[in-house]
Amino acid sequence: MLKKNIIRYVLFLIPPVFVAFFLIVPLAFTIVISFWERVGFRVRPAFTLNSYIDFFYGVRLLVLERSFLVSVEATIISLLIAYPIAYFLAARVRTALGRNVLLLFTIPFLVNYIIRTFSWTYLLGRTGPVNEVLVNLGLASSPLDWLLYSDFAVLLGLVTSYMPFMIFPLWLSLSRIDPQMIEASWLLGANPVRSFLKITLPLSVPGIFASVIFGFVGCFGESAVPIILGGVGYQLMGNTITSAMDVLNYPLAAAMSSVVVGSMVLLLLLWYFAFDMRSFLGKILS
Amino acid sequence: MSKTNVWNTLNWGYILLVLIFLYVPLIPPILFSLSGSGGSFSLKDITLRWYTDLWNQSLLITSTRTTLILGMITAVVSPLLGLLATMAVRELRVPRLILMIILLPLFIPGVSMGLATAFFFKQLTINTSYWTIGIVHIVWALPFATLIILTAMTTYDPILTEAAFMLGSNRWRAFYTVELPLIWPGIFGAGLFSVILSFNETLRTSLVQGPLNTVQTYIWSKYLQVGLSPEIYALMSLLIILTLILVGTLIVAQKRVGKTRAA
Repeated sequence: MLKKNIIRYVLFLIPPVFVAFFLIVPLAFTIVISFWERVGFRVRPAFTLNSYIDFFYGVRLLVLERSFLVSVEATIISLLIAYPIAYFLAARVRTALGRNVLLLFTIPFLVNYIIRTFSWTYLLGRTGPVNEVLVNLGLASSPLDWLLYSDFAVLLGLVTSYMPFMIFPLWLSLSRIDPQMIEASWLLGANPVRSFLKITLPLSVPGIFASVIFGFVGCFGESAVPIILGGVGYQLMGNTITSAMDVLNYPLAAAMSSVVVGSMVLLLLLWYFAFDMRSFLGKILS
Repeated sequence: MSKTNVWNTLNWGYILLVLIFLYVPLIPPILFSLSGSGGSFSLKDITLRWYTDLWNQSLLITSTRTTLILGMITAVVSPLLGLLATMAVRELRVPRLILMIILLPLFIPGVSMGLATAFFFKQLTINTSYWTIGIVHIVWALPFATLIILTAMTTYDPILTEAAFMLGSNRWRAFYTVELPLIWPGIFGAGLFSVILSFNETLRTSLVQGPLNTVQTYIWSKYLQVGLSPEIYALMSLLIILTLILVGTLIVAQKRVGKTRAA
């Protein structure tokens, strides 16, 4: 019996060990490489802070700042778009219908977002349909240039890529709220706005935090959207990391990547200790 | 109309608007791929030339093979690991910790994940193969597969396992003959979802691909080298359509299960 149990536990441990070995160990190893030394085009084990000095005392610090700002902006915009959708589907619509509508949000997400991002270069271009409509309606006298290869385009690309992902955690946490609590607040004399602010909003905070993490992770590490929609020279952390890889500066790429991953892990730990995961995955876990 | 009705209509209108934003980008590649002149689209010169041209690209044929092999590896391994992970979550005493590890790939930016794995394999002097890329795809698909199977398991009543015990089954047999058939749709769904993710993965793959190419990295490297061409639009259209077919299959399969279960 004991032997059988050991076999079971070994089987159970395969998936977490698999992820630990092929993701956590490589990520830790990346941190090690970030301290290595670059000699010509080769990399040699050492302990030097050169990569971090390169990163924090050069133009790349501006890239970090911009990435952070753009990601925060994109995440806030996505949250403002996603929250009402999740709220409406969780609180005002039958569960089955709500699920079906959620499915509609999943489908485009499953199509490679790079392909979807390519489309925006046409849609937003000088001769594209958006400009054509704007000019024909008289809303713009000539095609707008700032639609493409601009902060606006990058934000649009990020929001359309990651917003659908953010609806789910919000919906999960909002649909867990017991309607009786809201009715109770009505009985106690709260108007709908007040009961939303005092009951629904606070109870959905775990979902908000989870979806903010999802959105922020996606945007902060994104490398294809700035390349496609930002235009020449538009740098965010993601494509700065890949261009450091292209010139074989592995320690620098490793240092930048580690800073990105480090901030994610920090956010994640915050979430892990601040909220009971059951409050967000409750339906699935219980 | 009453006030609630107006409010509901506004909400549906808003949802429709957001959905349009998400679906519109699926259309241009298909239009361009059918356009004879390549640049602009008009109904007069519709052609399938770019699709037939695809057959002449030998690099693309090998890329397709790689994509299919990776899809199969991911489709089999992720649900299997996902199933084990759900059992670990259910039976071990640290469900939050295990779930956190399994879901971690969702929270790691694609670039960092690809880069870390690339460094790791290089340091271990493991050469690029279907398995090294496959591992990246599996790690990426595993959180989704696990969540799908966990969701399917919530509809399973553990009392059925107890009943099997009382009828003399051991643990393994109770699982195999009672629970597995009932949660099978979840496992199947997880497999299909994993294939879809594997087919549509570019960034992580492009960092660990070595000399191999998938259809997605083929498109990405073509874009970086020479820009987009009508053939690439044709290829993108095929991928969009294939993905939609796979998603359709997934939905139909899940709906059918829902119906038989309700009956």
